[in-house]
Amino acid sequence: RRAVLAASAPSTPPDISDKVSESIKKAEEACSGDAVSGECAAAWDEVEELSAAASHARDKLKANSDPLENYCKDNPESDECRTYDN
Amino acid sequence: MKPLQTSPNPWPPPKNRRRQTTSSSFYLYAPSSPDFTFHLLVGEKNCAAPLPFLNKTPKMATCTVYPAPSLRSSCSFPGPAKTCLGFQQGQVIFLTSGRRSGRRGGRSSSEISCSAEAKTVVIGLAADSGCGKSTFMRRLTSVFGGAAEPPKGGNPDSNTLISDTTTVICLDDYHSLDRTGRKEKGVTALDPQANDFDLMYEQVKALKEGVTVDKPIYNHVTGLLDPPELIDPPKILVIEGLHPMFDARVRDLLDFSIYLDISNEVKFAWKIQRDMAERGHSLESIKASIEARKPDFDAYIDPQKQYADAVIEVLPTRLIPDDNEGKVLRVRLIMKEGVKHFSPVYLFDDGSTISWIPCGRKLTCSYPGIQFSYCPDTYYSNEVSVLEMDGQFDRLDELIYVESHLSNLSTKFYGEVTQQMLKHADFPGSNNGTGLFQTIIGLKIRDLYEQIVAERAAAAVEAAKV
Repeated sequence: RRAVLAASAPSTPPDISDKVSESIKKAEEACSGDAVSGECAAAWDEVEELSAAASHARDKLKANSDPLENYCKDNPESDECRTYDN
Repeated sequence: MKPLQTSPNPWPPPKNRRRQTTSSSFYLYAPSSPDFTFHLLVGEKNCAAPLPFLNKTPKMATCTVYPAPSLRSSCSFPGPAKTCLGFQQGQVIFLTSGRRSGRRGGRSSSEISCSAEAKTVVIGLAADSGCGKSTFMRRLTSVFGGAAEPPKGGNPDSNTLISDTTTVICLDDYHSLDRTGRKEKGVTALDPQANDFDLMYEQVKALKEGVTVDKPIYNHVTGLLDPPELIDPPKILVIEGLHPMFDARVRDLLDFSIYLDISNEVKFAWKIQRDMAERGHSLESIKASIEARKPDFDAYIDPQKQYADAVIEVLPTRLIPDDNEGKVLRVRLIMKEGVKHFSPVYLFDDGSTISWIPCGRKLTCSYPGIQFSYCPDTYYSNEVSVLEMDGQFDRLDELIYVESHLSNLSTKFYGEVTQQMLKHADFPGSNNGTGLFQTIIGLKIRDLYEQIVAERAAAAVEAAKV
């Protein structure tokens, strides 16, 4: 199920993805001693921030995923891309 | 709750009963929609009607709405769902209450006269991370036309969005501590200690007065405070983030404020959707992250909703018993009464308590259906109107049927809400109440902006005469 999800959606840029998994590990460590401490909350807050950043990065990739659109941005004069308003 | 008497509904209604609007019975005529039913709830404060609407016998009376081919009474009904109270669609109500005037009505005409055009309208949007702020922003900027884009040629990680009329700034840019700083001090980004409210106030105030500012950038990827970027004063400034209504000085600068209130169940479901595919995340990590941030969220973020002019509450559905998937949502739009330049949307009749199931011949709904409710209520000791939608649309174009029964939408033409929703059918929430209410609030903000601009122009003319 998870493999299907990962394949269908654009994947997160690897640098952010690494940071997310790293921050989760750190948060789990920070909370292993004291689950209600400030450090624990701050560590999970970092996870949240990075997860949100990862999701925004995915959305950005999804928005730029049309191959023709991308090609036309660079080559507006080609036959495939020319559009006239009238 | 006492059930209403179901009247046999003779047509034409007997003369002595026609104008009778006591609690025991009244008639509602909706000429263009001859065959839908609606339910009336009397004496119940909470709009959320008890669930068993769909499959069990309704506890409230069902009134059939009559087609009214010719109505020779003192009231005329030019459109659907108009009632005897004489409210007209698109009517602008200027309400000035004492409570507000100290806060927002304080601008005197002499103050405005010199720079009537230059002043910026400021909107605040508060919500937790991952609660749909960015979707809301895209819907909002779309109402004003033109695509919102990050500033050209600047920092690629800038959080700002700029369109022709609107500039959206993310309040994370006013973090006083960067990621390592917060870790050392053991505070989250939700904590006021991690934010520079003095700078936030100064810069929002400057932008409101038409002065360009040098705003810092908080980089969400690196967790560092990047060199600042120049922000020009726009026509409409939206400040979105965790604390737009936290500091009283910033709050007083806002012309309108919105709070997105996502219940814990739905927040959890949404974060699973967002993060499960991410490497390293698991159900436990998502849960732990929500739990760890919860004390600060309850202490510093949640109390802001009492100051909001509009609150969008997202709750689990009541149409499916024990639903915890978070796919079908019950969304409530809570609108403060008496806010200057903002008149709440209503269903059928302003100030009544109404529960309505639009499904039937005119609107195709599959399981679990759609249920609307509308009622006056009290929210943090403020008088509010609550509009609620539970369930989801199967076909978005049929939304026009729902739209035609809502009044005071501030649309420029019939069907504008539906058209806006269709424009962004791919956004999350387009088939349920979140998208619908976000779009409605977007239109309301446009209306508010236009009223403020018109008022300033009139004040400038007035001042010029003197």
